[in-house]
Amino acid sequence: MTSAGMIGSELEVIRGQTRCEVASRSKRANVMKSRIPTTYVHGVKRVRYSQEALEAKRRKEQAKLKEYLILNDDLLAKAYWGKEAFDLTTRMLNMNPEFYTAWNYRRNMLIHGIFPTRTPVEVNALLTDELSLTTALLKQHPKVYVIWNHRRWCLANVPDGPSHTDLDGWRQTNWNKELYVVEKMLDADARNFHAWNYRRYILAHMPAKRSAQSELVYTTRKIEANFSNFSAWHQRSKVLISLWETGQLDPRVSKEEEFELVKNAMYTDPSDQSVWIYHRWLIGAGEEFEVIQREIASIQELLDEQPDSKWCMESLVFYKRLVLRHHVQRLTATERGSLTQECIRLLSGLQEVDPSRRQRYKDLAWHTAAQQRM
Amino acid sequence: MSASTSTLLIPLHAKYVQSLGESKDDLMYHLTAHLRMNAIYWGLTALCTMNHKDALNREEMIEFVMSCWDDEAGGGFGAHPDHDAHIHSTLSAIQILIMQDALDRVDVDRVVKFILSLQQPSGVFAGDQWGEIDTRFLYCAVNALSLLGRLHELDVEKTVGYVRQCRNFDGGFGAVAGAESHAAMVFVCTATLAILDRLDEIDQEMLGWWLAERQVPSGGLNGRPEKLEDVCYSFWVLSAMAILKKVPWIDSDKLIAFILSAQDTDHGGIADRPGNQADVFHTHFGIAGLSLLGYPGLADLDPVYCMPARVIERMGLRKGWEGLPRKAS
Repeated sequence: MTSAGMIGSELEVIRGQTRCEVASRSKRANVMKSRIPTTYVHGVKRVRYSQEALEAKRRKEQAKLKEYLILNDDLLAKAYWGKEAFDLTTRMLNMNPEFYTAWNYRRNMLIHGIFPTRTPVEVNALLTDELSLTTALLKQHPKVYVIWNHRRWCLANVPDGPSHTDLDGWRQTNWNKELYVVEKMLDADARNFHAWNYRRYILAHMPAKRSAQSELVYTTRKIEANFSNFSAWHQRSKVLISLWETGQLDPRVSKEEEFELVKNAMYTDPSDQSVWIYHRWLIGAGEEFEVIQREIASIQELLDEQPDSKWCMESLVFYKRLVLRHHVQRLTATERGSLTQECIRLLSGLQEVDPSRRQRYKDLAWHTAAQQRM
Repeated sequence: MSASTSTLLIPLHAKYVQSLGESKDDLMYHLTAHLRMNAIYWGLTALCTMNHKDALNREEMIEFVMSCWDDEAGGGFGAHPDHDAHIHSTLSAIQILIMQDALDRVDVDRVVKFILSLQQPSGVFAGDQWGEIDTRFLYCAVNALSLLGRLHELDVEKTVGYVRQCRNFDGGFGAVAGAESHAAMVFVCTATLAILDRLDEIDQEMLGWWLAERQVPSGGLNGRPEKLEDVCYSFWVLSAMAILKKVPWIDSDKLIAFILSAQDTDHGGIADRPGNQADVFHTHFGIAGLSLLGYPGLADLDPVYCMPARVIERMGLRKGWEGLPRKAS
């Protein structure tokens, strides 16, 4: 999935699907030249051009470069706070939304130069414009930290109003829109962790809270759309904990429903790790002996159907070792011995089906045997 | 795989890093000015790991770093002259100055004050006065304070308390409390706990499992379950594995082959994946990964501080991590 956006009229910037969303900000790449002094780029194909094509493209880029350098110099001079300077930051951020100093300059202008001279109605309108700017930028740059951050800043600065009797009205209107925006972002990329983090932030801070139940429904929808979406499973685990802790759901009943949901997913694609990780969360420390025994039996059944299933074997080892660790008093010496032997046998099978992680299985087998000796 | 990508092209990559500063007529060079300090740190660390530290001019580099000092912000470095101070560029500046043995150029008291001023009541750190928070900035703070010998001024309990809030049932850590585990955040949180001697906060067997499962059939590593592999995770995942002494839990030969296959064999540099555009970020983290995997001819890289191990040892800061033994060339 690659979407193309235009920076100005001459420079085409390709935003590849970014997968490594980490410490840095710039993810743009110019695909015009065969070797570019790129700092940080993802998912952009290396293209080879002839020397002539390269020179032609370079000449075309010079006008854009000149414009950018003038804009950059004007902006960093920071000599004044006025409409013209404000518009400079808009132009700059449209060209380079990762330029954090330009965002800082803009916020300083708003706080110290613009807001003090405006009515609350006007301040609210300005912040609505700011939010629209970031919405437009996020569509092209969904993984740029500083754009998301500016959005948070806008929301935090919405004034009281519209009236003394309705101090939260503007805030509520603005915050309500946020869930819509973030859902659009998650429709475009259901794994975007910036969007998920922002979603949790909105749900936690909006003036009139949405129910945790409706968030549970949202995660169901995302999971049904794609079982592999671990981000949605993760969110589900967090929402369920809050529903259990606040007594809105009976943990015992709710867990049974979750086991049922996850079982369907396991049978659909036993090689998808999202589902197995979630299952491991559901089992937790494995306090409930009957539940863990039942799940072991159910996974064994699936393994019998799919004898090479790595995740069946891996999970069986994990849960059997959990039984050995937490329910040892319920087991006879013979049962302990046979559980240990089953783990060691499964770990040996895992070395065959998953040789990349062979050493881990060897280490676990050694530890399992050592625990039995103790 | 072609013969040319079966070995690390050290002289070519050194030349690539060296050439990065010579592109001032490129728009892209200017569009990434807000990453310049980090880029210099990535480039210098890559060169140190390849034993080509002298490929960049020491005096020019130190002058550049000092020209990014943001006096108005009260003691931090921006990413570029006239850019605002930020904790990430401040850490990179300190790392560069230490690698160049030039820390005496800095007013350490003011830097420490700037860093400590960014800690929030929850224990997390903001990147700057504008309040963006996450565990990356917390790591930047802890790493920098440790390098400056001023860790005793940090509220360790409060800091560890926030890291604990970011821990998930899968053993990993997220960017903020409640966030999904992500390999980059696993690195920053694990390294933070290593610096603070608090690895007991980690369920090491569980996290080791989660990290080992980042390796995909191509040999590369991904950052989260069911995502695509990328060269930079070679460091985020491997550094945490090295700190937990579990690097042997993945197939190192396959990972080495994956990193090498992402090299640009014409112009140097390493990309996020084979056939893509190279950049200094992936060049550095690819080489860092190779160093931890014992690739021949490379210097040891400390996975906790992401700096040359020799430098960290000389400062007496080495923690108990383990990469793979260096292979003979």
